Amino acid sequence: MKEFTYTVKDVNGMHARPAGKLATFAKRFSSEIRVKNGAREADGKRLLSLMALGALHGSVLTFSFVGADEEEACRELERFCIEAWGDGVAVNEY
Amino acid sequence: MNIEKQSSRMFRGVGIGNGCACGVLRFWESQVIQAPVLPEASRGEDAETLRLQQALRVTGEHLHHLREKTARELGDAEAEIFEIHAMLLEDEDFLDGLAHRLHTGCTAEDAVRQTASTFGETLRGIGDAYLSARAKDIEDIAAQLLHALSEKGTERSESVFDGMPNGTEPYILVARDLTPSQTMGLEREHLLGFVTMEGSSNSHTAILARAMGLPALVGVGDLDAAMQGCEALLDAREGTLTVCPTSAQKHAFCERQGRESELAREHERYLRSLINKPAITCGGHRMLIYANVSGAEEALSAYRNGADGIGLLRSELLYLSSERLPTEEELYQSYRDVVDRMGGKRVVIRTLDVGADKQLSYLALPKEENPALGFRGIRVSLEERAIFKTQLRALLRAGAHGSISIMLPMVIGVSEVQRSRAVLEECKQELLREGIGCDERIELGVMIETPAAAVMSAELAAEVDFFSVGTNDLLQYTLAADRQNPRVAALCEENEEPVLRLIGYAAESIHRHGGWIGICGEMAADLSLTQRFVDMKIDELSVSVPYLLGVREKVTECK
Repeated sequence: MKEFTYTVKDVNGMHARPAGKLATFAKRFSSEIRVKNGAREADGKRLLSLMALGALHGSVLTFSFVGADEEEACRELERFCIEAWGDGVAVNEY
Repeated sequence: MNIEKQSSRMFRGVGIGNGCACGVLRFWESQVIQAPVLPEASRGEDAETLRLQQALRVTGEHLHHLREKTARELGDAEAEIFEIHAMLLEDEDFLDGLAHRLHTGCTAEDAVRQTASTFGETLRGIGDAYLSARAKDIEDIAAQLLHALSEKGTERSESVFDGMPNGTEPYILVARDLTPSQTMGLEREHLLGFVTMEGSSNSHTAILARAMGLPALVGVGDLDAAMQGCEALLDAREGTLTVCPTSAQKHAFCERQGRESELAREHERYLRSLINKPAITCGGHRMLIYANVSGAEEALSAYRNGADGIGLLRSELLYLSSERLPTEEELYQSYRDVVDRMGGKRVVIRTLDVGADKQLSYLALPKEENPALGFRGIRVSLEERAIFKTQLRALLRAGAHGSISIMLPMVIGVSEVQRSRAVLEECKQELLREGIGCDERIELGVMIETPAAAVMSAELAAEVDFFSVGTNDLLQYTLAADRQNPRVAALCEENEEPVLRLIGYAAESIHRHGGWIGICGEMAADLSLTQRFVDMKIDELSVSVPYLLGVREKVTECK
C-alpha cells in the first residue's frame, strides 16, 4: 500500500472539472485508489464519489493505493495533483 | 391575454452581468421532470435495461452535440458544462444505481428518477453551494434521460425541449429554473434576457448567460404566471425586475440601456473573431502574440485564445510544489504536456528562477539581506550544475517533440551565456551518445531584465538567438524602486521612458545579429505602449491569457 497527502490549493476546492480529470486519470491504473477527506472516503476513479467528498480549499486529502502498480499510481497521481490541479481561478468555473 | 393597467411592481434577485433589457415577459413551463408520476408497469428487467441503454446513448449523443454547439458559439470553457454532464452520465456509481433499481423491478423512468434523486440529495446534503448547484446537473441529466425514454424522445430532434414560447416579439424569458441544456437550446433571435425564480450565481445558467452576453436575473422567488405578456425592465446591474413600469421608469431605463449592452456584446463578438488572425499592423509589421503561463492547463487556454506561442513558461511550478528535486523524467513529462498542447507552436521556457525569496525547500538557499540583488536565477543554475543539467536534458528531450526555446533568467553578461551553452552542449552530447532523441538545434536566449543585460545587449546578441524583456524586474532595477513598496510604486508607473529606451537599444542589437526580441513583462499588455513597441519592431509580445485578444486587436490598429 502506498499513500500521499495533498492539501487542496484550488480556491474552488474539488469542483467538477478536477474531479472529472482526476477520476479519468486514476482509471489508467489497475490499483485500487481511495481518497479520504476527514471522515469521508471516496473511490478515486469515480466522479460522483470524489465530488461527494466535499473537498474545499485547504482540505487535506489522503490518497491510498493498493495493487500491482501502486507505486507508479501513487507517484503519478501526486504529480497530477500538484501540476494539473493548481490554484484554480476564483471565478465560477469548473 | 388580459393586460390590465397594473401598478408597477419590482422584484429583486441576483443579477448576472451588467446588462439590461426591456421587453415582454414570457413564462415557460418545463414539463419533463415535473410531470405527474403515473404508475407504470415494468416491461421486465431485460426490456427496461434495453430502453435505458438506448436512452443513455441518445442522451450522450445529444450532450456531445450541445458541447460542440456551445464550443462554437460561446467557447470551450462554457462547453465544459456538457462535458461534465457526459462524465456524470458515464459515472459507475450512477450506472450502478440505475442497474440496481432495474433489478428490483423498476421501470427505466423510475430508476432514473430515484437514482437522480438520491445523488442529488447526497450532493445537497454536504451543504456546499457549489455542490448543491451540481445537484442540478444530475436533475438536468435525469430530465434528458426521461425525455429520451418518452415517445417524443425516440425521434432524433434538434430541439429536445418543447413548450418554447413562439412569437416574433422580443421577450424576456421567465422560468422556474433553467438547466444548461435548456439554456443552450434557447432560440436567441428574440430573446433579450432571462429570469429564473430559483438558481444562484453559482449555477450554469449564470455561467452561460455571462458567456452569451445576455442579462439575467436568478433567484427572484415566485413570479405569478398571470404576468405573462406584461412589459418588464430587467436590470442585471441593479438586480431588479420591474414589471409594468411607469413611463418615467421606462424612459430613464431605455436611455441608459440603449448603447451600453449592444456595444459590449459587439466588442465581445469582435474579439472572438480575432482568434488566430495574424496580428499585423496597418504598416505591415507582424507581431506574434504569445502567452505567459505556468503550466499545461494555462497553455491549453492560451492555445484556445489564439496565442501564437508561449512567450514564457515559468518552470518553477514543478520545483516549488515538490518536496524533493523533480527527476529528469518528471520535468520532461511536464514540458511535453505543454508542448503537446501548443500544436507545434513555439514554447519559450525559462530555466529555474529561484532565490532567497522564492525558495525551494530542499535547496536551502541561505537567507539574504537583499534577495532581489542576491543569489538567484542563472547564478543558482551555474553553481548547482547537476540540477541545471537535469533541467537542460529534459528540455532538450522535450524539444524533439515540438518547438522549445530555452531562456536564461537574470543574466548580466556574456560569460554566463557561454558557460550555460557549454553545459547545454555537454547535455546534448550525452543524449546523443545515449541514443535519446533531442533537439540539437534548440534555440537559446536570455531575459533582458537587468540593466547590465540591456547595456551589453550588443555583445549578448552575438551569443544568443533571442532576447525576452522582463519589464517588471527591468523597471525595478533600472529605477532602483520596488514596485511592491507603496511609497515608491508610483515612481515605477511614471518613469517608463528609461526602460523603453533600453528595450529599443536591445532590439537594435539583436536585430543586427538576425535574432528576435519579445517582451514578457507587464508592459507587453499595456495598450498605451503597443505603438511604441511596433515602432521598435519588437517581434513578439507575451501576455497573460485574458489579455491575448485585446493585445491582438490593438496591434491590428497600430500604424
